[in-house]
Amino acid sequence: MSAHVICGGLTFEQVPVELREKVAFRDAQLPGALAEMRCFLGLREAVLVSTCNRVEYFGATDSPEHAAAAWPNFLRRFHAVEDDFAPLSFQLRDLPCVEHLFSVASGLKSMVVGETEILGQLKDAYDVARTQGQTGKWLNRLFQSSFAAAKSVRSRTAITRGSVSVGSVSVELAEKIFGELPGCRVMVIGAGETSERTARSLLNHGVRSILVANRTFERAQSLAAELGGEAIRWEEWEEHALAVDIIISSTSAPHYVLTHDRLAALLKRRGRRPLFLIDLAVPRDFEPSINLLDDTFLYDIDDLQSIAHAHLRERQTEISRSMEILKPHVERYMTWAVRQATDGGGIETGLVTT
Amino acid sequence: MHDRLWLFLATLGYLASAGWGLYALGSQRPIANRFTFLLIAGAFVFHTLFLYQRGQAIGHCPITNLFETLAFFSWSLVLTYLVVGPAYRMSILGAFTAPIVFLVNFFALAAPIDLHVVMPPLGWQLELHATLALLGLGVLGIAALAGMAYLIQEHQLKSHAITSWFYSLPNVGRLEHVQQRILIWGFVIFSAGALLGFFIPHQSAQDWVKIAWSAVVWSLYAVLIVVLGLGRLSHKKIALCSVAGYVFILLTFWGINSLSEAHVFPHEG
Repeated sequence: MSAHVICGGLTFEQVPVELREKVAFRDAQLPGALAEMRCFLGLREAVLVSTCNRVEYFGATDSPEHAAAAWPNFLRRFHAVEDDFAPLSFQLRDLPCVEHLFSVASGLKSMVVGETEILGQLKDAYDVARTQGQTGKWLNRLFQSSFAAAKSVRSRTAITRGSVSVGSVSVELAEKIFGELPGCRVMVIGAGETSERTARSLLNHGVRSILVANRTFERAQSLAAELGGEAIRWEEWEEHALAVDIIISSTSAPHYVLTHDRLAALLKRRGRRPLFLIDLAVPRDFEPSINLLDDTFLYDIDDLQSIAHAHLRERQTEISRSMEILKPHVERYMTWAVRQATDGGGIETGLVTT
Repeated sequence: MHDRLWLFLATLGYLASAGWGLYALGSQRPIANRFTFLLIAGAFVFHTLFLYQRGQAIGHCPITNLFETLAFFSWSLVLTYLVVGPAYRMSILGAFTAPIVFLVNFFALAAPIDLHVVMPPLGWQLELHATLALLGLGVLGIAALAGMAYLIQEHQLKSHAITSWFYSLPNVGRLEHVQQRILIWGFVIFSAGALLGFFIPHQSAQDWVKIAWSAVVWSLYAVLIVVLGLGRLSHKKIALCSVAGYVFILLTFWGINSLSEAHVFPHEG
């Protein structure tokens, strides 16, 4: 009898979110679900990964067919749902399984290619399994190798480079203008949803001081409370602009809120400090010629979106290079596995999709 | 081994550094920039060996003719880079430093300017004066290169043209900070060197060409430092002036040193 390293489950590529959300495992559920799954699927070793975009199992087993058949039933039983997951589930064995995990860990199979959150999620899932004693030589080696492979891809390619959302592009630009963000002061003009998200991205990267100005003061107070900032009255925002480093604007004003001449006058009083202006409004709040002023960096929503799209395209082009980097890591694991097979339970290569 | 061979090897090293540095700037490999620093450091060892051997051979600080002066000048640039690069995490400046140093050295090696000069003992004041002045010019050179890096990064941010250089170059805030610090240091060292020149006993007439040139360079940078202190100019303009000032130095250095009588001594052969 020979052992197989297998993986399978549901991913965003085949399964819509309406179904994925029915079978996602909460952190608190994971240890219990893992033990039950291992028993139900007849796995010698097991790791269960549950994220927004994938619910997958990894295991070592003598009977991949049994695991493939039992997986949809396990989901139905554990989550008490009636849906048939068999046609939507995949299973990979041995070499394709190893390639799959290494690619997933490197962010190559993520919805947003190159995102790094998945590596942390895999590490967490592996830690849960290892702590519970659900892993052994096959999966320990497999997961540790996948982490090393992912690190190699991240350091040797641009797969993670460049932000791919308006908020993260804004953060990236702010970091290229100011360096460290904790010392930066931000002002939000207009309490729109996009400006709120962008402000949150900046807060997540260390910005501590946020002012919120809105024509309706109550709305400014409400958003300021949510962001942990301070609300200011609409008529005071220009005066406060002298002290801030980043201004995010998304008002519904039909005209420019800030013109070139007005800002030029403000800059004279402000001193020689860079000013980053993020205009998320349509029609735009800041007169475009503001960008001609020295030490002033103006980006509107189209600029930010086009940078995000360009980054995404660049990441796509890095996939083949990343696959080349993964090859020796995969080969090393397979060589080790074959050597193990000669000592004990064997490992074969194969692919089964159910 | 003939001492010029060391400089030749160093120059080859700077050429390789320049090529690699430009590749690293545009590459999508974060690790590539670190090799630029190592390549330049390697070439600097040969460069130093040349100056040491030449110094031993002539019994002076090796600045007795235009060839040696240019080699010493480019050595000052590299020395400053090797200090500033790690200190300010600015190893990326090597991509800008290496091409300039290569060009200066190439010119020094290619032109027939390595003329043998028999000199009396120069005295420590004269050697210190020349060393500080050249070192100051080296530091001002790195300030100009930091200014150039600032202008490139600022242009990318302004034009929304995010290229691979965008990721390799540091943020404009740090470039601005570092450039200003180096500019001030370069000015202080150059001023000290120039000032020392007034206290050196001369056996011949004053070298008015070089004094006038030094006064112009000093005044340019003095105005820039004052304006910087007053905060009246945007940093873009400060960086532009720093780069323009150094282009002026590079373009006139050869001519001034050719015309100069500074190295004309009573026993010149």
